[in-house]
Amino acid sequence: MEHDAAPVGRTYVLGQFPTGEALVDACYKVREKGFETIDTHSPYPLHGGDEALGLRRSRVPRIALAGGLTGMFGGYLMMVYMNAINWPLNVAGRPPHAPPSFIPITFETTVLLSSLSIFFGLLTLMRLPQPYHAVFENDAFRSAVNDGFWMSVALPPGSDGKDATSVLSQLGAKDVSVVKEDVA
Amino acid sequence: MAAEHAGAATADALDGPPLLLGKQDNTTLTGNLLAHVWARPDTRGWLLAFTIAGFGSAMLLLAITVTIATGIGVWGNNIPVGWAFDITNFVWWIGIGHAGTLISAILFLFQQRWRTAINRFSEAMTIFAVMCAGLFPLLHTGRPWFAYFMFPYPSTLEMWPQFKSPLIWDVFAVSTYFTVSLLFWYLGLIPDLAALRDASKSKVQQKIYGIFALGWRGSGRHWHNYKVGYLLLAGLSTPLVVSVHTIVSFDFAVSVLPGWHTTIFPPYFVAGAVFSGFAMVMSWMVPARHFLGLKHVITERHLENMNKIILATGMLVSYGYLMEHFIAWYSGNQFEWFVFYNRATGPYRGVYYLMLFCNVLTPQVFWFKWARNSIPLMFVVSILVNIGMWCERFVIIVTSLHRDFLPAAWDMYYPTWVDITLFLGTIGFFSTLFLLFLKFIPAVAVSEVKELNEELQHPTPPVTVVTGA
Repeated sequence: MEHDAAPVGRTYVLGQFPTGEALVDACYKVREKGFETIDTHSPYPLHGGDEALGLRRSRVPRIALAGGLTGMFGGYLMMVYMNAINWPLNVAGRPPHAPPSFIPITFETTVLLSSLSIFFGLLTLMRLPQPYHAVFENDAFRSAVNDGFWMSVALPPGSDGKDATSVLSQLGAKDVSVVKEDVA
Repeated sequence: MAAEHAGAATADALDGPPLLLGKQDNTTLTGNLLAHVWARPDTRGWLLAFTIAGFGSAMLLLAITVTIATGIGVWGNNIPVGWAFDITNFVWWIGIGHAGTLISAILFLFQQRWRTAINRFSEAMTIFAVMCAGLFPLLHTGRPWFAYFMFPYPSTLEMWPQFKSPLIWDVFAVSTYFTVSLLFWYLGLIPDLAALRDASKSKVQQKIYGIFALGWRGSGRHWHNYKVGYLLLAGLSTPLVVSVHTIVSFDFAVSVLPGWHTTIFPPYFVAGAVFSGFAMVMSWMVPARHFLGLKHVITERHLENMNKIILATGMLVSYGYLMEHFIAWYSGNQFEWFVFYNRATGPYRGVYYLMLFCNVLTPQVFWFKWARNSIPLMFVVSILVNIGMWCERFVIIVTSLHRDFLPAAWDMYYPTWVDITLFLGTIGFFSTLFLLFLKFIPAVAVSEVKELNEELQHPTPPVTVVTGA
């Protein structure tokens, strides 16, 4: 998981690329130079972006399955416990444990828990909400969610970012800058 | 390529009119799709509409207050007509919501690219429609302050809900539906809220949108999980929407009342829900695309596709009517047959014929291409379908109840002013929420439209399937 989560650091080098394709190509080249802690920032998912960053398969489906199974068994067993064990109630002669009548709610709890686990699982994987991030220190970076294609390279502690800056500049990135987390 | 002539981007030359008009790029789309949010809120038309809708909401509040303070005796319901306007309105609103999920989830799974421009809009409708729907059964309990009794909470009385009742299934179905729709909608909104945050001109707007954007920064590592999560939620919403209206139909079908106790109800209700929902989306989209300046993303192609779905679901609903009547006759059951005979000849026959006119006859105009492309006509048809589908629920509910097995027990139902105010009030409340949505949130999924624009301009080459060695 650590490998796929957004790189955590205090200092980043940012660079803007003219198009999404240029950004994807640059990712491969930057990684070849040995920078693995990179991330792309774009207004929509980039075609081939996952491969360019070298990401493994998402863990979201497994989280969804776990949530769904919990909802399914939890929902059904809840009804069995409440209507057949804790307080058996005879309604119109139906058996206290009536499997066909328990199916609709079992389905709903499956969907509910699966959806909730997808949503909150996603937020956890993405480490959101995180209102402040060092990349927001550069005002030009505000284009990343509108029409800009940016790359960020997280720097290891103690690095001044000169090497990453020169690599991004060589690849044709504009507005290359070093941003530091404001720890005030 | 179609992309060259007329400067329009089309997926395929054989694919019909374009999905996006004009030459767009990410910068122009950011500008023109967010423009209506930045427009000053004192636009005359919006204020006028908001005032009328606000008055409707106030009337709703009044009717709710009267109902709660006095009791549901202020409604026209009686014995035998225990369900009337309340459940009619409930089913009508829930059905309207279903188009949103259909557009956002089912069309997404089928990779129907035209959904992109209209999904945000119709998902918002889903949420607001479910809010209106939920009010009615809540008030119909008579003591809404005890509504939490319906949830399985550990009470000291050890009173549990009776899970064999379709009404409890409804509680689970509707609350799950609302929750999942809200999560799906919000998840889709996050990138656009970030776009609003970073395109805003004032600090206040930046702060407010910033809070709701959760710090989204378009990260590729985020998109990686986000895409999968969105797809899975779409996959879950698809059976969910079918299950919700199926369970709503079980409220009727599981009873033993002639006219209700039929196996055709679940598919027939789901088709009707989609039918009325698309009509409602159409009724709002025609004015909204005009006033918000969205004609380049919600094109004639979108409207025509929606009209085709209205025609198809209208035919399904008509088939449902046909089968219902046929089975009532074919069963040889005199009580069953009487209900249908009474619908067509009894005191509520006016509503019945209005239903047939609006739901069976009206959508037939969409067989003609000129009709599917005529904006005034589709607006009128959508309003008629909304009326027709409301009549359908009224016919199903009230005519099945008012003349039951014993003529001595027969009675008529007439709505009181509270019934009518509650219904019109929810329309006002729905409109209020919707107008606020149109004012503060982009009505079109901006990041999805940008992605679509990118795909249309750089189409991926078709996959060649190689068979054999």
